[in-house]
Amino acid sequence: MEAHPRPAARTGAGQPRISGTRRALLLGGAAIAGNTALAARLWQLQVVESDAYRVQAAQNRARTRPIQPLRGLIYDRDREPLVANAPVFSVWLRPAELPPEREGPVLANLAVLSGERSEDLQFKLNQARTAPDTPARLARAVPRESALTIEERRHDLPGVTVRTGTRREYAHGDVFGHILGFTGPIPAEDVEAYRRQGVRFDEDIGLAGVERSLQTQLRGRDGEQRLEADAFGRTLNELSFRPPQVGQHAVLTIALNEQKAIREILARHLALRDRGAGAVVVLRPDSGDVVAMVSLPDYDSNIFTRGASSESFALLVSDPRRPLINHAISGLYPPGSTYKVITASGALEAGVVLPQSKIHCDGRLILPSGWAFDDWLPQGHGLVDLERAIAESCNIYFYNVSGGNPYTRLQGLGNRRLAEFERSFGFGERTGIDLPGEASGLVPTSEWKNKNLQQPWVTGDTYHAAIGQGLVQVTPLQIASMYAAIGNGGRVMRPRLIDRMLDQHGNVAVRTPPQVRSVLPISDENLRLLQSGLYRAVNEPSGTGPRARSSHTVVAGKTGTAEYSGLRDAEGRLPSHAWFAGYAPAEQPQYAFAVLVRDGGEGSFAAAPIARDIVDYLMTGDMPPLPQERPDFVSPDHRL
Amino acid sequence: MLLRLARIEWAIVVSTIALVAFGVLMLSTTADPGANGLQNQAVQKAILGAVGLGVAFAMAQIDYRALHGIAVPLFLAGVLALVMVLLVGDFDLGARRWFEVGAIVIQPSEFMKVAAVVAFAKYLADRRDSTRAFRTVMVSLGLMLIPAGLIFLQPDLGTALIFGAIWMAMVFVAGAQWWHLLMPVAIALAAFPFAWFFAQDYMRQRFVTFLDPGSDPLGAGYNVLQARISIGSGGWLGHGLGQGSQSQLEFLRVRDTDFIFAMLGEQLGLAGTIGLLAFFTLLIVQALVIGLRARDMFGRLLAIGIAAMIFTQSFVNIGMNVGLMPVTGITLPLVSLGKNSLLVTLLSVGILLSIHAHRGAAPFRQQSMHVVRGSLPAAGPRGGLGR
Repeated sequence: MEAHPRPAARTGAGQPRISGTRRALLLGGAAIAGNTALAARLWQLQVVESDAYRVQAAQNRARTRPIQPLRGLIYDRDREPLVANAPVFSVWLRPAELPPEREGPVLANLAVLSGERSEDLQFKLNQARTAPDTPARLARAVPRESALTIEERRHDLPGVTVRTGTRREYAHGDVFGHILGFTGPIPAEDVEAYRRQGVRFDEDIGLAGVERSLQTQLRGRDGEQRLEADAFGRTLNELSFRPPQVGQHAVLTIALNEQKAIREILARHLALRDRGAGAVVVLRPDSGDVVAMVSLPDYDSNIFTRGASSESFALLVSDPRRPLINHAISGLYPPGSTYKVITASGALEAGVVLPQSKIHCDGRLILPSGWAFDDWLPQGHGLVDLERAIAESCNIYFYNVSGGNPYTRLQGLGNRRLAEFERSFGFGERTGIDLPGEASGLVPTSEWKNKNLQQPWVTGDTYHAAIGQGLVQVTPLQIASMYAAIGNGGRVMRPRLIDRMLDQHGNVAVRTPPQVRSVLPISDENLRLLQSGLYRAVNEPSGTGPRARSSHTVVAGKTGTAEYSGLRDAEGRLPSHAWFAGYAPAEQPQYAFAVLVRDGGEGSFAAAPIARDIVDYLMTGDMPPLPQERPDFVSPDHRL
Repeated sequence: MLLRLARIEWAIVVSTIALVAFGVLMLSTTADPGANGLQNQAVQKAILGAVGLGVAFAMAQIDYRALHGIAVPLFLAGVLALVMVLLVGDFDLGARRWFEVGAIVIQPSEFMKVAAVVAFAKYLADRRDSTRAFRTVMVSLGLMLIPAGLIFLQPDLGTALIFGAIWMAMVFVAGAQWWHLLMPVAIALAAFPFAWFFAQDYMRQRFVTFLDPGSDPLGAGYNVLQARISIGSGGWLGHGLGQGSQSQLEFLRVRDTDFIFAMLGEQLGLAGTIGLLAFFTLLIVQALVIGLRARDMFGRLLAIGIAAMIFTQSFVNIGMNVGLMPVTGITLPLVSLGKNSLLVTLLSVGILLSIHAHRGAAPFRQQSMHVVRGSLPAAGPRGGLGR
């Protein structure tokens, strides 16, 4: 209490001893200056830069939610739907919400409810743990009742949610597997590329076939819903809405019944001959429209979208015949004698031979170097002109006109010009069909051989190329396209698989017109000679393709027996693929085709009957009778 | 001019009420809609403000020189509370800053501010003849470092620094030599690299964030950036009370305390922020004027200390909101939610009123409300609280 006597004593009533006035004023000035600085800053923020901050504030509160459109459908030529969007419930899990100690029981529950194997679920969860905040899809398609049960038992299943979506349901997935392909999750390495196109990482995209090549058109474009959201992501109300642009529908040039029948014909013949693999391509010569395209063995598109079981998928992947690959466009094979037409056209156009020039064939040609080149007919064909050479598939004739003959001093076409003609028929490059994974094949040249095999080009290489052997590689589609060009008068068409795209109301959005890739550099007379040779090959007794003869129309075509390096048989012959390619009717072709039986042996025996059945079917609309020929019917001395 | 303003004593009351009203207004826009009556923090603040103002008026009736006598026990009690809070305080958000007694939260560092101002004022006024001496400055520095150090340990660097600023202002006005004052500043600057080395992570982080808030927009820089967006988007007049997506949708965090100014900026715009700044300026200038017109050195230093306390806190807080100062966790006096801070600040205003009321009073025992003997010519006979 007595701690403050001094103020009274020292300061007194009227004479306070007080100092620091100037300094206090100085502090006041400093405070005013400081607050003035704050005011200036406020002016800067709230007046000068205000607009920029307003924009940032607007961005803060707006959440955009993409509205995914329904994927477009795919129809056959007659507007028969080949795929539908089926409603589906998928199960997702956000790993961060699932405590590791509850993992076991939760996964066990889910396995029972979703029908997935718990090992599969565990595997997916382990992968998802690397990004614990991102929901991962554990099951693509669960039954409705299971989905409802999972929803009801949310409290027992932390982090698990059920989403509704659609799944591709293929009406004829078994027949159209290679053509339609399938959809599925984006491969990890492509997620970024698809994101730039506006595709979300957890979306299903087309992974093969038309589903893949038309991914952009079928998918459509996202709509957008902008929502006001608070800092915790809770949405409050809608700011704007833009409807999605529904994906376009694709109409194929293929008719369901024809594709189905032709696949069945090929399958029957393969079964008869105990051969596991083959391919057929049928085109419309004038337009390049694809009528049918089959590659066996194939797969059912549905097993991918229904959620293939691990075993069935492993089976598809491990099959040495590679059923996941569409061999009609991706398989590379030597074309065999089907290629001789090219050599013939080149020799005629280059003036190496005249149409009536005859070359003697005694069954063998031995070069001065000592290498011997045989004909398939040991005793030889005698004197043959061009048409007969094609009809009877005389190797010696084509050796002479391509690589020349050192004894008769005949100057051959030569490798370089032969390669030019091969390319003019569309070989060595993709045909441009609307399918992914098409192979371009190989037109061998001396440069190519030097570079890739470090070996010089020899006359024998030209001989081999002239009869479609050796280094030449083609796809069945390329062969079909070549025979379509010969049949239609010389136009190499781009194979047309998509007839038109439809908008959501069914109106035509895009029509894809036939497209001429190139015109053969062959005169009309010479083309007629080739056509005549192909006619005689099937329809004359000495021709190689009598088994392709149809009782309903006139077929023109060429056999091919393409040897490839592999185990020789008992008679020391190399294994071979069987080919038959041609068109029908011979006068006004409506169909051009290529038939390949892998490891099928003789083209005339294994492939020609398939072509005949296909032509019969296409001309009449009736399924031909079951093939009767037996494998032991094959004559061992026919090397066509 | 300033002195004439000082005669209008209600200015200090009006600016205080205005600032509290700003706070009540802001809190009312963020109050939980389910909270009624006393549950509502705006209502709580209004009631507490009214009570605090009553305390201030009561304080004005008492001669501030009574504080001179209890300065030492007040200071010791404050220090003891700070030690206690370090030992048994509630651990919350990584720091020990308060006790919870029932529903009441007591934050000793807030009360320590006033206790320290009173203690410095007593010490410096008692030695007003030797303030030029190095020893006086050093002893007062030591007095300051005791509470500041204890608060630093909580850890609460921002509040600790406020003590330094208050001390500096008071020693300066008391008459210390320039170089005595500059030396601690120089030492502080020289010690910075070492302090950086020993600093806690959050301190370094805050410093880095201050230098570049965009460096980590969802981390430490988030609040600074959101505060700037809130203020900037307010524009001239703001989005209106209860409007504004930044504060209403809670992009702006700690909007009731540290960043209440940003919420004001968004809702009331430049008009609101400049208005608030004007009231703060008025309050501080009033406090300084009261100091200038105090009847003795003790009163003058008390007023200077209170002015410094209010100014540094408001300046640091607003500076942090507009991105001119680092994030320190200093609340805006009178405006922010904190109840301890509100009471202590209102108590300080009461001390100011007392100094004003007793600027011409007779020595302690003979004081009376109506006997006014101005020592300055500008102080009219009708000044004072009883008017």
